[in-house]
Amino acid sequence: MLQSYISEIGRSAKSYCEHTARTQPTLSDIVVTLVEMGFNVETLPAYAKRSQRMVITAPPVTNQPVTPKALTAGQNKPHPSHIPGHFPEFPDPHTYIKTPTYREPVSDYQVLREKAASQRRDVERALTRFMAKTGETQSLFKDDVSTFPLIAARPFTVPYLTALLPSELEMQQMEETDSSEQDDQTDTENLPLHMSTDDSGPEKENASVLQQNTSLSGSRNGEENMIDNPYLRPVKKPKIRRKK
Amino acid sequence: MNRKKGDKGFESPRPTTHQVVCINNINFQRKSVVGYVELTIFPTVANLNRIKLNSKQCRIYRVRVNDLEAAFIYNDPTLEVCHHESKQRNLNYFSNAYAAAVSAVDPDAGNGELCIKVPSELWKHVDELKVLKVHINFSLDQPKGGLHFVVPNMEGSMAERGAHVFSCGYQNSTRFWFPCVDSYSELCTWKLEYTVDAAMVAVSNGDLVETVYTHDMRKKTFHYMLAIPTAASNISLAIGPFEILVDPYMHEVTHFCLPQLLPLLKHTTSYLHEVFEFYEEILTCRYPYSCFKTVFIDEAYVEVAAYASMSIFSTNLLHSAMIIDETPLTRRCLAQALAQQFFGCFISRMSWSDEWVLKGISGYIYGLWMKKTFGVNEYRHWIKQELDQIVAYELKTGGVLLHPIFGGGKEKDNPASHLHFSIKHPHTLSWEYYTMFQCKAHLVMRLIENRISMEFMLQVFNKLLSLASTASSQKFQSHMWSQMLVSTSGFLKSISNVSGKDIQPLIKQWVDQSGVVKFYGSFAFNRKRNVLELEIKQDYTSPGTQKYVGPLKVTVQELDGSFNHTLQIEENSLKHDIPCHSKSRRNKKKKIPLMNGEEVDMDLSAMDADSPLLWIRIDPDMSVLRKVEFEQSDFMWQYQLRYERDVVAQEEAILALEKFPTPASRLALTDILEQEQCFYRVRMLACFCLAKIANSMVSTWTGPPAMKSLFTRMFCCKTCPNIVKTNNFMNFQSYFLQKTMPVAMALLRDVHNLCPKEVLMFILDLIKYNDNRKNKFSDNYYRAELIDALANSVTPAVSVNNEVRTLDNLNPDVRLILEEITRFLNMEKLLPSYRHTITVSCLKAIRVLQKNGHVPSDPALFKSYAEYGHFVDVRIAALEAVVDYTKGTFACVFLFISLVDQLWKLMNSGTSHDWRLRCGAVDLYFTLFGLSRPSCLPLPELGLVLNLKEKKAVLNPTIIPESVANNQEPVNSTNNHGQSVGFQNTEDDHLIKETASSISGHQQGVKRKADMPLGSPLEPGQILEKNEDSKVKLKIRFSNSQEEEEIDMDTVHDSQAFIYHHLNMLERPSTPGKEQSSGEVNMHPVSAAPLSVFSKESNSSKHSDHHHHHHHEHKKKKKKHKHKHKHKHKHDNKEKEKDPFKKKCTCCSWYFLWEGKD
Repeated sequence: MLQSYISEIGRSAKSYCEHTARTQPTLSDIVVTLVEMGFNVETLPAYAKRSQRMVITAPPVTNQPVTPKALTAGQNKPHPSHIPGHFPEFPDPHTYIKTPTYREPVSDYQVLREKAASQRRDVERALTRFMAKTGETQSLFKDDVSTFPLIAARPFTVPYLTALLPSELEMQQMEETDSSEQDDQTDTENLPLHMSTDDSGPEKENASVLQQNTSLSGSRNGEENMIDNPYLRPVKKPKIRRKK
Repeated sequence: MNRKKGDKGFESPRPTTHQVVCINNINFQRKSVVGYVELTIFPTVANLNRIKLNSKQCRIYRVRVNDLEAAFIYNDPTLEVCHHESKQRNLNYFSNAYAAAVSAVDPDAGNGELCIKVPSELWKHVDELKVLKVHINFSLDQPKGGLHFVVPNMEGSMAERGAHVFSCGYQNSTRFWFPCVDSYSELCTWKLEYTVDAAMVAVSNGDLVETVYTHDMRKKTFHYMLAIPTAASNISLAIGPFEILVDPYMHEVTHFCLPQLLPLLKHTTSYLHEVFEFYEEILTCRYPYSCFKTVFIDEAYVEVAAYASMSIFSTNLLHSAMIIDETPLTRRCLAQALAQQFFGCFISRMSWSDEWVLKGISGYIYGLWMKKTFGVNEYRHWIKQELDQIVAYELKTGGVLLHPIFGGGKEKDNPASHLHFSIKHPHTLSWEYYTMFQCKAHLVMRLIENRISMEFMLQVFNKLLSLASTASSQKFQSHMWSQMLVSTSGFLKSISNVSGKDIQPLIKQWVDQSGVVKFYGSFAFNRKRNVLELEIKQDYTSPGTQKYVGPLKVTVQELDGSFNHTLQIEENSLKHDIPCHSKSRRNKKKKIPLMNGEEVDMDLSAMDADSPLLWIRIDPDMSVLRKVEFEQSDFMWQYQLRYERDVVAQEEAILALEKFPTPASRLALTDILEQEQCFYRVRMLACFCLAKIANSMVSTWTGPPAMKSLFTRMFCCKTCPNIVKTNNFMNFQSYFLQKTMPVAMALLRDVHNLCPKEVLMFILDLIKYNDNRKNKFSDNYYRAELIDALANSVTPAVSVNNEVRTLDNLNPDVRLILEEITRFLNMEKLLPSYRHTITVSCLKAIRVLQKNGHVPSDPALFKSYAEYGHFVDVRIAALEAVVDYTKGTFACVFLFISLVDQLWKLMNSGTSHDWRLRCGAVDLYFTLFGLSRPSCLPLPELGLVLNLKEKKAVLNPTIIPESVANNQEPVNSTNNHGQSVGFQNTEDDHLIKETASSISGHQQGVKRKADMPLGSPLEPGQILEKNEDSKVKLKIRFSNSQEEEEIDMDTVHDSQAFIYHHLNMLERPSTPGKEQSSGEVNMHPVSAAPLSVFSKESNSSKHSDHHHHHHHEHKKKKKKHKHKHKHKHKHDNKEKEKDPFKKKCTCCSWYFLWEGKD
């Protein structure tokens, strides 16, 4: 009886407190609850002040167990000025240290080349086979169409475009090599792959005759708008009286 | 025209001073053009009552002279050369008739196809020599020549589709697209107007004055003015949705290309200004026109065509910065085009016989540019190459005459009676002859330079140019314009004025006379007198040769140095004593001075202890157009190769060393290969020679296969020698070497005559480990050559009982090769390479595999690649393969007959719209059948002289003069084939490259040719066909060296393939409904292929059997009969083709006749 009464008080008090969007019931919540339950609150102080009430002694104070200090490695970084002091401290410095765990990469040149080559070959073969399977094919052997399938030749509407324009892959490569070119000078020694890129020896001068003239462009482009070229002039409107 | 007249200026009865060309409407859909021309004519003679103009193809609506309607007649004898379906079928007859037809409309003789009657009201006016204005309205519907429309078959507006049109043609071909005086010698000023779609650009000669919208704003009109007097033949036009690029260095230069290609255009033309600077500097003369335009178009007739102030190039010359191989080629084309701007466009020629001066000068200054740009080595190599070409051609055909003089038109005096065509007109010339003509012209110019020094030479050019530019600014009446025309006599006169030297003997020898000199040299050293006894013989009796009398330089390298001697070659003296300077072996220890002053140490142990001679060279400067066969011992060649610094000498030595397969030769070649200072082309050549030597020495060869260790050292990783380095082509010399070495190595053979396994694996590894990711340049050419190498390694299959080729009995090595080829070919579909070089190589390789019996012979694959719509290089390769099927196979006589018929039709009337194509057809006819009546033809019904028995005796011998003589004995050397093919391939490579331009030009040109039969304008068929025939020529040339006997059959069969293609392709694009034909066409090769194993005897006997057999049959049944035969379809086909053909031709020719208003 008492238990259910008390728990009912608790429950309603909690409801009231939640009703007012709080999480912790306050005194007023309990008061309202008691009122609701038909209890005369005003009698409460008197009851509390009655003479023969029982006093329960406070439990003896036990020593707080000392929480062992977390393992610290070095000094935590102090807060910078814009972080209020009550915020928790930065993590210990060691948390910033990363320890890579992957395997030692294969750096043997021969193996690398071998791998790259076979990988590319596999990809190419798979791709072409797939294309051949899904499209029309031609074959060199009448009796066996599947062993050496050739993707059928299909005429283009504008054959010169595919023949002349560099493919996207090549374009991409070109950009890459262009950008990597500057790097080449600096870190040739470090990378094993670069053992192949020496060899541009004494004949460079001779070769330069043929060398592509890449130094063009740029500087003069700005002027182009000013150029008086008849093909750049605006097209004239027809005159009303033109000899025809 | 003759020389004397030339100087006084050319007199034309109807000189034009100004011409207006206005094209109001261009319809890409219908491929038609509407416009008018207006010629301002100053009569020079009284009673000029007929004006003759040139016009072909144009439909003329109306002619007005000074606003009065005039009657006109249109008659073009070249439309059909031999009338009345002559039974002659003999080339002599045809050539004469053709030459006559061409001269009947020759503008230089005052003739023309279009004859306009001056209205009688104006006669008085004319007699007072007053100005006449001739106004002609014309239209052009589906032109087959002259103007070429390229209209891709896809969705979108014409501009979006990249449709374009351009003028083209061989020599003076302007008459194909508007009426004019189509001569290089009649100059006038021009006003050109083109109204085109607003999205298009019209590029033409002269200055673009203004561009004006039409009233509806949907079109615009381009107004061009050309104030510099220019010949009609130098007028051109290109219209298309071009991208415009103003040259960043020279703003008056504008470049045009098709949509999407602008980045390539930028790169390609970025070099042009340097060419300009070079020419202006050496000629000390500004570029004569106020502007210059380059247009890059698809399906070009020739790679480079120069017109007044503009040049039209093939779009296939464009390339990006990643491409190595194409770059020098394209630059050469640009330089060539520009050289022709000065000599050819600005300065024109007086008459056809002066053509050599223009071609010579432009070729010569182009050579100077080469020397400056690519270096002396490249230049000398080029000169040598050109010299070898012209020598080979002249010896084959009997001579190229630069300056033909025609006396009184008597045929007997014909200076070129050895040829199967007339050289009187540019339009009757074989294209091959013409290319050789140009080649000879510039070589002769170089000879003149040798004689009078370059300084004087350039002064002469400058004089010609400055005279011309003064004249160009004059008014017409001052008669100064003839200064802009160059004539042989004028040119020679200014040479003698400037230099004070007499070059008449030189001119007489090389210009007025055809033929080259053939020297045979040998020597002996006379120790007692310390004299070198040199014997120089000449062969001046075989065709194409002439006797040389005059100085000849001989260089002798002795121990004490190099000494030049000038010998006088005279009538009877064969022996020449040359005193030697050094006693043998006197001074062993000293360094040996070379020609260039360098002193080198040599290991002299190899040489003859008694003689101080290291090597001897005859005519080292190539100052005679000659072929030298010189005998000296192998060690001398080896010394020459190692120590002579002239690349030409090195190349000669390499060729000579092929005959000396010794360890010493091997060492010399290997040393050259390794020597980085050595010219890369010499090193490339050395690769092939080394392969040949290794094969000859196969039993005694020690060590790894030739070049393998060298390649490993140069291009493979240090740590793992079986893996090639990742590509880095920054050093072009080693790039070219890297490309070539595997190709040469693949030619190695072991004792069993197989390619060593080691070599094959090596090449496969190169392919496998090829890695281009870090490379700045594209590796497409490199990969293509690796495939070529694979193809070279293929040897004939061991065939057991003629089993059918299937996968199961595929040789494991071949399986590997095929694997690679398949993968490459498939990858090309996904990631196409530049100019599809890899596809081209794959196709060639597949053909090699087929030919060697590893893979079943089946042309279907090649046919699909030969279709219109593939890139032109691919089509050529595929066609070459298709043509190759006919090699060694035997076809029945029925085919011959239809072939004769067809070919005859083609040259008689089917190709009137393109001179070059027609001459090509003539060439093919000549190659197949010779000058007289084809032996396979049944006797004409008229019954000449012969009956069956006699025929064999009479007809066959008549054909003998040329290679065709072998007609009856084709040899089937399928077995030998493998090897010879291997070698050929590599050699041919060069040749093909050289000829490539002409071929591609050809074939492209061809494009717009033979469509006549089906009435569809340009068609692949044509292209094809021309390809074919140029190819035929190629083949012949190549095979001459090694397979003499096969030639004839080859060509015969080539031509059949050619006809197929012709048929096949013809039908396709024009009328889809006729597609069936392509199916039928398959018939032949399939049926022919199994026959290929005929032995010699069976062949010939069969041949004659058929022959007679057919003969009988034919007599009975006459031509229209369809033989019950495998080839029935083919006949059908042909008939299909012929009918419309005939109709159309005859229609055309009479259509215009008297169409005038009266």
